[in-house]
Amino acid sequence: MRAWAIVLGGLAVWAAHFFVLYGIASAMPGRVGARWLVLIVTLAAIAADGLILWRTIGAGRRADALEAWIARLGGLGAALSLVAVVWQAAPAVAM
Amino acid sequence: MKSETGFDPALLDRFPTKGPRPDDELARLEEAWRAPKGWGLLTAVNNNYIGTFYVGAAFLFFLLAGVLALVMRVQLALPLQGVLPQETYNQFFTMHGTLMMFLFAVPMMEALGVLLLPQMLAARDLPFPRLSAYAFWAYFVGGTCFFLSLFFGLAPNGGWFMYPPLTGTTYSPGINADFWLLGIGFIEISAIAGAIEILVGVLKTRAPGMTLARMPLFAWAMLVFAGMILIAFPAVILATLLLELERALNWPFFDATRGGDPMLWQHLFWFFGHPEVYIIFLPAAGLTSMMVSALARTPLVGYQLVVLALLATAFISFGVWAHHMFTTGMPTLSIGFFAAASMAVSLPAGVQVFAWIATLAVGKPRCNTPTLFVIGGLVTFVIGGLTGVMVAMVPFDWQVHDTHFIVAHLHYVLIGGAVFPVFAGLYYWTPMMSRRALSERLGKWVFWLMFAGMQVTFLPMHLTGMMGMPRRVYTYLPGMGLEPTNLVSTAGAFMIGAGVALFVFDLARNFRFAVEGTAGNVYGGGTLEWLPTGLYSTRSIPVVRSREPLWDQPDLARDVDEGRYLLPGTATGLRETIITSPIRAEPQYLQIMPGPSAWPLLGALFTAGFFLLLTVQAYTPAVISGVLAVPSIMRWLWDTDRTVAEPEVDVGGGIRLRTYATGSGTHGWWAMVMLLVVAAMVFLMTVFAFLFVRGVHPEYWSDYGGKGWALPVVGLYAGAAGLVWLGRYLLRREGSTHWSPATQVLLAGATIALAWAVDFTGWRGTGFDPELSAQGALVMAFLAQQGLLAAVALLMVLYLAARTSRNLIVRPRSVTLDVVSLFLLYAAAQGAVTALITRLVPGGW
Repeated sequence: MRAWAIVLGGLAVWAAHFFVLYGIASAMPGRVGARWLVLIVTLAAIAADGLILWRTIGAGRRADALEAWIARLGGLGAALSLVAVVWQAAPAVAM
Repeated sequence: MKSETGFDPALLDRFPTKGPRPDDELARLEEAWRAPKGWGLLTAVNNNYIGTFYVGAAFLFFLLAGVLALVMRVQLALPLQGVLPQETYNQFFTMHGTLMMFLFAVPMMEALGVLLLPQMLAARDLPFPRLSAYAFWAYFVGGTCFFLSLFFGLAPNGGWFMYPPLTGTTYSPGINADFWLLGIGFIEISAIAGAIEILVGVLKTRAPGMTLARMPLFAWAMLVFAGMILIAFPAVILATLLLELERALNWPFFDATRGGDPMLWQHLFWFFGHPEVYIIFLPAAGLTSMMVSALARTPLVGYQLVVLALLATAFISFGVWAHHMFTTGMPTLSIGFFAAASMAVSLPAGVQVFAWIATLAVGKPRCNTPTLFVIGGLVTFVIGGLTGVMVAMVPFDWQVHDTHFIVAHLHYVLIGGAVFPVFAGLYYWTPMMSRRALSERLGKWVFWLMFAGMQVTFLPMHLTGMMGMPRRVYTYLPGMGLEPTNLVSTAGAFMIGAGVALFVFDLARNFRFAVEGTAGNVYGGGTLEWLPTGLYSTRSIPVVRSREPLWDQPDLARDVDEGRYLLPGTATGLRETIITSPIRAEPQYLQIMPGPSAWPLLGALFTAGFFLLLTVQAYTPAVISGVLAVPSIMRWLWDTDRTVAEPEVDVGGGIRLRTYATGSGTHGWWAMVMLLVVAAMVFLMTVFAFLFVRGVHPEYWSDYGGKGWALPVVGLYAGAAGLVWLGRYLLRREGSTHWSPATQVLLAGATIALAWAVDFTGWRGTGFDPELSAQGALVMAFLAQQGLLAAVALLMVLYLAARTSRNLIVRPRSVTLDVVSLFLLYAAAQGAVTALITRLVPGGW
């Protein structure tokens, strides 16, 4: 399970971020507080992605070939998630 | 090298073995895997047969849907044509979309998975061959009856997404909509069965050494595909059930005048419907990745990035469902989120496209038919992807929503992203299962007709849409400027039709099904499906040391065929395959596999009968059919979970594996977990529906009281869970002969049923009426789901009791007890959450 958690961790952060944002937008339509909540959730997601990225970079250096491959995949996923999370939150911040 | 399971990886260095093999080894293997002949073929479960039947059936539905499209194009070629009356046209476009999406695209991908995966992974078969057979027969029988409804004027006519209120009883009073709702719901169950088979197959039956980093990309794609089915399809199963219940019992889930909401349907449908597009695209992308590498004669550029792209697409695809609903008046902020996600999904798709282009650029591709289809698909898909980004822009989407622009976009994506890759795949892999390859000369004609036809049909359709022609209208008035583009589109459609007809001719002329003596590796692929095979798949199961083993180990095919790798014969005299660990593919144990049987076929026929007879309102025969399905399925299961005399066997090279395993690592346990994921998703979607209508129409909600009932109900479910744990504990103890552990589990099943009855009684006492409001209807939907779980739990514990009475439950741990326990624990947990949610979500906040 640990390997799957590494591989899918970053993407799971993106998915959780998205669904929380959707929940906020649906539960608090048109309210200013919704945007602040979005910002807080986004910062938390960025932190989570950053943590995964940092951990996978460290793991990739120490591990055997397959573990390094898995760590690299997880790291790439977290990096992609980081971009997607920022992009995802842009409508709330920019609109 | 590290180990995942305690298995010493160095043991695999013993292969290939030296020395002569026993004389009768191959004959015994062939005998164990012999397929039935004549009518007995209907009982075959080998993936070669089921996979070929499956591909054939999916292709048949593609042809039928294509014919419907041609007739529609004739109708639209000129204004005010009278080829199809309006009502028939409605049935045609509904059938065309439904057949293509539900009966061609997804089943074709599953079919290719069933056909190709065991060979690609060098497994003897997928882990549940009878489940594959059941899934195929259920799909084929259900799909055929569904299509035939067209000839009786009973075909559904509400569009492939069947929006209420149009599909409610007010506007669709006949049984046409019921055919769709019950038929598609049933066919989706078959798709889920296939997905579980594929997921467990990819995770647990890979050849030793085939780590995650060495898996063929088609296997990765099918892993993601099957995972997405488990998450996405429950939404449409729930949606179809709710709409059918609304139609049959007047429970107002989607009726805004009684607290329901038609938008709920759209959310549920598109939570399935948009991932469905990627569910279709990803396996095709997997096929493309494998073919591009083989056709360009070089390893795929960016393997790891492509794996990431497959995973990322799966995740992001679940965040884009509402881009089909931009015009429905959702909150602006929500629209912004969905638009952003819709644009973001083009990134992983782009990664794959660039990986394919780079591979073709660095390799030495030959100009053959699969290469042409791959490149044609690439070009077409990129055009569709670009228009996809256009419609992700909300203001643009508002302009072209529900016009022919969208029809053009979706056909570019689906034909470029799935149909062309599938055709490439049919050319590429036909030599694996046919004595003759398909004709290269005819193939190029097929490609150019289909490719040119595709562009001629759909490129002008963008303009037709921009000029304002809406979808799903059976005609248009002259003088609106729509004539030229429509006429050109019709001409193009017939070019596609000519290409497909030529392909069918080629197929009839050259395709000759064979398991041995096939045309072989015509295109020089480097993966394991090109090893010499029989009905048992490969003679021995190779040790994999790279991604393209046939390119890197020149003697591999010979050594495998001489039985110099694992499991060179049958160790127990039965059908068997090696179960390996999910990450590093280390051998874990030998799975004893069931052989041919009529029970999956009968189970599928009776299940199909239940749904179809229900559709035509023949309730008594439907119930009889449903009741007969139960023993058929149980009888098929009876032969599984079997033990053999030898607890351990030599699988070659002196490596000894267990012949029976229990616990969380087994293939049966994995399959049950995946089934429970499906159940959990149906439940989660119901919770979403409950909260959604509560949020949209709070004025229709009441506080029914009866909160006090929650405590005894939850207590009973907790008691059931405790009994399950006790049963498992007692089975591990040697001295529990007088008080059989099955008794505890039997009691647990009864307690779950009792808890459900108490819950139901509690609600009845409050006087709520499911016809009066969506709240009542949803409470009943929750209770109905839990009732179904309780009924299945009872059947399972009775099955367990029957096996106990025959001494088939083995100590200290039994797979049957494991999976039944898992199900009961889940049923108890869901029951407890149901009791709490339905009572504690306030009625009048």
